[in-house]
Amino acid sequence: MEFPGSLFPAFCSAGPPRPARPRPAPLAGWGLRARAGARRGPAPGEVYSTSQEEGRELGPCRGVCGALPAPQREQSCPHTDAPRHPLRGADSKEAPGRQDWGAALDFTGQLARFFLDHPEEAFGAMGRLLQENFYLGEARLRSKARENTISVKTLVQELGRREGRRHCPQLQPSPRLRRFSCLSRDWLFEVPLGLLAECLHEELALQCAKLLFDDAPTGGALAWLPTEDGLLPPEAAWRCVALDTVPGFQEVALEQVAGGLQPHARPPGAVRAQWPGPPGGCHAGSRGSPRRRSLGLSLWCLAAPDDAAPVPLQVIRTDAPASCLTVSPHLPGELSVCTLSGAVYLWNVETGLQRLRQDPETAFFREASPWRWSEFTSHPRVLSCADRTGLQCLDVRAPTSCQFDLFKVGGEAECQRGERVMLPMYLGRAHPCQHLVATQFSVYVLDERFPLVPMLRWEHMLEAPPIFAHLAPGRSQETSHKVLLGAHRTQELLLLQYTGGSHSACQLTGPPRRLHPISQGLQHLSPQVTPWQGLLHQRLAAPAAGVTAAPAKQEPLEPLLVFQLSEAGDLFYQSLVPEPPAESESSEAPTSPPSLPVPAVAGQPSPAWGASLGSGSEESGPLPGPVSEGSANAGQAAAPEEAMPSVGLAAAAPYGCWLTALIRAWSRRPEQSQPQRPPTIGHQRLFTHGELSQPAGASPLYRQARQLLRRAMRERACLAPWALGLPPTPLAMPDPVEPRAWPDDLSKRLTASWAGGWGEWWEEKLGVTRPTSCTR
Amino acid sequence: MDSFVEQLKRGTEEEFTEESVWDGSAVNTTSSSLPAIYLPLLPRNLRHPTTRGRKATEFQETKKACLNYIQDALLQHQWQRAAEFMTNYLETLENTSAEKRMAAPEVIWRIGTEILCHHSKSSIEEFNYFAEQMKNLGVKRYLKVCLEHVFHLLCNGLIDEAYQNLSLAEGWRYGEQTTAQDKELKLIQAYKGLLDYYNWTKKRTAMLELDGNFADSVEQEMHSFFRQAAVNLREIIKIPGVWDPFVKSYVDLLEFYEDYDEVRQVLSEYAYNSKFPPNPNAHVYYYQFLKRQGESKKTLMSVLKILHEIVPSHELMLDICQLQKSKLQILQICFTPRLHSQEGKISDSEEICEETQLCPFESIWCFGFLHASLMFTRCL
Repeated sequence: MEFPGSLFPAFCSAGPPRPARPRPAPLAGWGLRARAGARRGPAPGEVYSTSQEEGRELGPCRGVCGALPAPQREQSCPHTDAPRHPLRGADSKEAPGRQDWGAALDFTGQLARFFLDHPEEAFGAMGRLLQENFYLGEARLRSKARENTISVKTLVQELGRREGRRHCPQLQPSPRLRRFSCLSRDWLFEVPLGLLAECLHEELALQCAKLLFDDAPTGGALAWLPTEDGLLPPEAAWRCVALDTVPGFQEVALEQVAGGLQPHARPPGAVRAQWPGPPGGCHAGSRGSPRRRSLGLSLWCLAAPDDAAPVPLQVIRTDAPASCLTVSPHLPGELSVCTLSGAVYLWNVETGLQRLRQDPETAFFREASPWRWSEFTSHPRVLSCADRTGLQCLDVRAPTSCQFDLFKVGGEAECQRGERVMLPMYLGRAHPCQHLVATQFSVYVLDERFPLVPMLRWEHMLEAPPIFAHLAPGRSQETSHKVLLGAHRTQELLLLQYTGGSHSACQLTGPPRRLHPISQGLQHLSPQVTPWQGLLHQRLAAPAAGVTAAPAKQEPLEPLLVFQLSEAGDLFYQSLVPEPPAESESSEAPTSPPSLPVPAVAGQPSPAWGASLGSGSEESGPLPGPVSEGSANAGQAAAPEEAMPSVGLAAAAPYGCWLTALIRAWSRRPEQSQPQRPPTIGHQRLFTHGELSQPAGASPLYRQARQLLRRAMRERACLAPWALGLPPTPLAMPDPVEPRAWPDDLSKRLTASWAGGWGEWWEEKLGVTRPTSCTR
Repeated sequence: MDSFVEQLKRGTEEEFTEESVWDGSAVNTTSSSLPAIYLPLLPRNLRHPTTRGRKATEFQETKKACLNYIQDALLQHQWQRAAEFMTNYLETLENTSAEKRMAAPEVIWRIGTEILCHHSKSSIEEFNYFAEQMKNLGVKRYLKVCLEHVFHLLCNGLIDEAYQNLSLAEGWRYGEQTTAQDKELKLIQAYKGLLDYYNWTKKRTAMLELDGNFADSVEQEMHSFFRQAAVNLREIIKIPGVWDPFVKSYVDLLEFYEDYDEVRQVLSEYAYNSKFPPNPNAHVYYYQFLKRQGESKKTLMSVLKILHEIVPSHELMLDICQLQKSKLQILQICFTPRLHSQEGKISDSEEICEETQLCPFESIWCFGFLHASLMFTRCL
């Protein structure tokens, strides 16, 4: 491995991060050669040779499309239950095209958790009142005790049985529990408002913070899973792995997406498999009773042929939720695991878990976040451990003594105040010594051989912190490596390209490019009726859940397929092909400004999009061929509305298929996903037959009243007493009060104020009392 | 963290103590609706929901939307579209808000540079004109604009123009602003020194080719270039940083005039001063210099050993094999753990050494920190 003989000049001083000065934040990455690596000051050897078109020949991307047949998945309902963002609407004017956020504010759930967390406050008073009337013991009640006491043994047993299956959507409420809840739900509990309000406020603050930034999906739930030999049967074109971080996919979903891609766009397989991302979602936001869904990690083997199902190899349990799981690029069966309690483990399938570090504190300065990450490095026995403050490398053989700092939020990397590590990634496939670190401001490319000082630094200008990243390495030293950065909530997707690392210093090649997020697909759909439009908008605007890319096998162009998964379960892809050389286009450019062909307008990746829906639409089959995008919209770049890529009829076809499948899935929605009726019980359950039967010797008035009652119940109407025909008897007036019968002061005063002369009475009272006190 | 957010909330530039955030004493985790992570582009109304201050005027709203469209176009490489929006955005220089008016020149400069760099119809003359305009737009970033302009010229091969610009910028003085832009000034001087060095090399080759008649005048010019370059380069090398091209040029200059003591001092300072970052190239330059000087094997080995601690896989590790005839010592160097560890060194190296000659490389590399397979295939 060579080290670049000459690096770009830069100041470098240890110390705290520089103060963040107010400056045009969304533009921080433009126009500076000095800061962006590529465009740093030229090194002496290159002063005279650096040409203008650095990296131009490898730029992306002209869109082609295809649609993916939908993977089989249980979750076929639309994302209709996404509640509203509490702050939604506040930022509607901030930026055009900003999508709404969906997030859960589930008051019912919060109240349920309140009951679980504070049973004494909620049920204490009623419980003490009813203590004598409920019998919790196992034995049978004697006849005498049964007069005032009921046994709740079976009720308690039933509750205990259902405890483990509380979140099962298929669970039907048992009749006994339903009856009890109907009887008692209105009076059994008591809500201390102060305490509940406090809890609710805390919960809302947590939820709000989680809405703004949630680190649970860091790393993403989507990975490219290459095959062994690179020679694929045509029906198994590619696969994706979705892990259970996506809400709604509780179980690990390994899926194979076959067919659907066009023959020319079929990616070849490579050699490595990886399950990135946190393997278990954790509910850190719920107070008191964390509903941690998964503390287990599992390793699956996919060595079997394509048709065979993946085989689980090993399953482990951790005491705290895991935040990271990475596969070693060096040794098979070796993984690194980080948990939220600050522990780093090396997990070997044969030897089991080895704890390397247990440190709840962060490495460089104090930071509250328990998030940890760990990756492998160029040496198979050295792991990099990251927290929000930086990266450290530690040797597996001597984890306490052998370690060095790879990156820290400080002056060496020219960090800003408030900057935190969002996602580190090992760039081993591009260069064995390189690591990528993304913060909410910038991306850094680091070299293990020159720690702490980044080789490349660029401010990415993403609206939300990037927590997904994917590397598509270049095929040779000359071609650029492509890094995809993805944000969670805003679905942003940014493509960076850089070269260098071994012979020459790292450089960005060309400006970054934003790829189209899923939510932009809405404008390619045919107009729907308003409710459908709203649902579609909500579905497409769901936060992203993972990003990956794969090279496609297409000889002259070799496009890159970029896949994006949304939390609603939709998988979209776009294809990027290298840009033609800029010179040819500029030479053809006509002179009049409005009809200028903008070099990149024609290179939009988006008008034709592939779309895949998480529903059973297998029958949709292979979809229309790739739509080569014409330059129809090349000239109309003036207004933003026009500049948005217009969709040809052919380009809309894949979207149409996606939409049809979606609508079919919605209309076929199973019953239980529709809003359930509130549980009701029949009256014969409440009263015995004897009680309901007509008492002997009833008068005709009773009979009439009963008929009226039945009719009112049938019609769900009110039953007033005068419906029985009896005129309401006027209430007798009480006897008038004789004031003189009440000689005390209070009565006099009330009498006076009732008559309206309270002031006079008071003055008179004062006038009477003063001389008496004086005479005394 | 929260205090940091608070500071941004106020939107003032007041300084707060650096240490408070650095040592973490400012971090507290009170329940707040803000996330623990500071999000730079969070809309202001989410950051502090109570509406305070003046409402943005329609003009400001329009310009903000325009800026968003420009950003969108830039990220999609629609340079023409961005340029058209840019012509409308220039009005923001007349913004009524003082804060925005102050920030506007920088925005325009950055975006304009980016567009002009990539637009298919832009020319270097237009770029020069734009840069000159931007220099006059404000003194606060004069030197930065100059530096970026020079970089652009250099990337296009216009060295003479770049040299002129550097000379102009070097002499720029504007009261306190000069000291505020000290780093940029230092860089400008250094790059001017680098170009002086470039001219010096040209003169040197010219002098070597020429006969005695003109050689004197050329030599005079060459010496003046040397003096200018040496002064500027010596200045920047003293500041902690990564200065590979400058150091290389400076060493080349000094070696030509045979000032070896100065070279040795500069290079050892660059390599071993703890204020400088642990740059592997610094050790490489020092080693190469010592090798050119014909230093003893012991000195060379000591430099290489330090380089080995930083980059065990460096190409120069092959020189260890040439310098050290004994394989045992090679192994001791190579198998010493790379990280600053207290692990004991391999004691019975004799046996291992005997084994390694027989074993395939893959079976021994897990003994220690060794990156370069290259090295062992050659030396064993």
